[in-house]
Amino acid sequence: MKASQKLFAVTALALAAALSWAQQQPPAEEPFWAKGRPKTDTAMKMAPVPAFPIPTAADKLPVAKMKLPPGFKAEVWASNILDARGLRQGDQGTVFVSSLFVAGKVYAVVDKGGTREIKTIAEKLMLPNGIEYHKGSLYVATPKEITRYDNIEANLDKPPTPVMIYDKLPGDVPHGWKFIKVGPDGKLYVPVGAPCNICEVSDTHAKIMRMNLDGTNVETVARGVRNTVGFDFDPKTGHLWFTDNQRDWLSEDLPNDELNHLTQPGNQHFGYPYCHQGNFADPEFGWGKSCDDYAKPAVLLGPHTAPLGMRFYTGKMFPAKYQGAIFIARHGSWNRTKKTGSDIVVAWPDAKGGVSRVEPFLTGLIENNEYLGRPADVLVMKDGSLLVSDDHNGAIYRISYGR
Amino acid sequence: MKSLGAWLVCAAVFPAAAQTNYSERYAQQCAACHGPAGNSELAMTPSLGGQPSFYAITQLFLFRQGRRDNEAMVAVAKGMSDDDLRGYSEAIAKLPPSAAPASAPDVQRLARGRATAQRHQCGACHGGDFAGGQQVARLAHQREDYLAHTLRGFKSGKRIGYTNAMNEAMAGVSAGEIEDLAHYLAHLPSR
Repeated sequence: MKASQKLFAVTALALAAALSWAQQQPPAEEPFWAKGRPKTDTAMKMAPVPAFPIPTAADKLPVAKMKLPPGFKAEVWASNILDARGLRQGDQGTVFVSSLFVAGKVYAVVDKGGTREIKTIAEKLMLPNGIEYHKGSLYVATPKEITRYDNIEANLDKPPTPVMIYDKLPGDVPHGWKFIKVGPDGKLYVPVGAPCNICEVSDTHAKIMRMNLDGTNVETVARGVRNTVGFDFDPKTGHLWFTDNQRDWLSEDLPNDELNHLTQPGNQHFGYPYCHQGNFADPEFGWGKSCDDYAKPAVLLGPHTAPLGMRFYTGKMFPAKYQGAIFIARHGSWNRTKKTGSDIVVAWPDAKGGVSRVEPFLTGLIENNEYLGRPADVLVMKDGSLLVSDDHNGAIYRISYGR
Repeated sequence: MKSLGAWLVCAAVFPAAAQTNYSERYAQQCAACHGPAGNSELAMTPSLGGQPSFYAITQLFLFRQGRRDNEAMVAVAKGMSDDDLRGYSEAIAKLPPSAAPASAPDVQRLARGRATAQRHQCGACHGGDFAGGQQVARLAHQREDYLAHTLRGFKSGKRIGYTNAMNEAMAGVSAGEIEDLAHYLAHLPSR
């Protein structure tokens, strides 16, 4: 054997050894959002995109592009709020704003009559998406823990050291970020999403819990919930309604995201991971299961539209037809070829516990299949106007009616 | 300190006056370390050619906030305005993708690195061609020393992105595998 042949043989042998060693290793896990993704070129190019790290200047915000029903007006209410997500209002009018991992902050926006002052009241937090204001205190939830800032509106410049009220949340990044709200029963409602796109889950995940405001007496009120990032309580019945983001990668057009209505706390399972959109068994986890065994959505909100924050309208400013209707912020799709969502829709509950119709309310934020803005939450202000947060522009808009 | 020293030696410090041609400002402020065409010839300093603008602006943002740990780049980014971040990141995205190094790769390490990349599904985020996209870094033909250093940083937790995604991805990759992975990505053969 010549030297060059020998070298080749040795190299080939080494290569084969290296490859067979690699083949013996179990493959590592894909990122959670990529599980189930088809290996086609088109799908392989789709991935979640975080909020842009620079807020859009006030004069470049897309208010002129927004389309609203006649008589409604959109304006910039506050800008330069990086990663603006959840919205809550304090008794004295302060608007609290949460964020995800781009900012990791909680802000307070103080209306100075025409101008708004933005204060950072907490920072370096892990995905502090969940906030709630209740009786003078601000509650902040990360995937791991819930803390409380007492007498917050009197201390915006020097917030108090937060009180830990619950530190036993799983802490997963996937679908671990929160939306929290105090119900009419005086309890704090806290979801724990599925730690994956689609997987079998234990009792620790894919549910909505409630607890006393001091973190005690935790109980599960809803099961089979994949990832809710928005809910509210019907002012008439006190029932919990929640949006739920359904699994990815089944197809461009299935399954739909959901608006759900909890009528029997503790006794309803909303289908995940077995049944999606109330009538479609999962191709993997749905075998041996029937959609008839699970609570059906009140209404379907479109595939991949990502409905997040929602509120029952209880204000006096909008026309009477909006009384008791639900305003829903749809953040918009990240894994659909033709973008969909990125708007505000209104759902009208009917007398039977369902929804009679869904209408577009704020549209115009998709141009040439690109997002001009992405609504994340809505807030009914004390004057009846509606605030809308937009995490991709780092801004808050105000929607008003009439003069 | 080493990186700060290197930066002080190589950076041409120009007054960052109201100059809005960021390709020219790149040439003045960044090229000495990162290469005029974004192809770095400086040890431990990344090539920027072909990086997506979203990735570039995200890293500049993290440096400016002090959330990414590199003394030299934190010092540079601290003085940047929002417009600077946008301008520089767009200028960086216009630089041509870096070419593979002239030196021949070690075929065994190449094969092991490829197998490691496949097993750890690096392409799930960085793309089958490792060109990156949006907020995700381009890895193809990045400097080998910088790649290995960065991957070690993710594995040890010294470097953290927005989330711990890369830290988790590197948890199961051994020190030896990191070296091979860096070798493979730096020399990435055309498909």
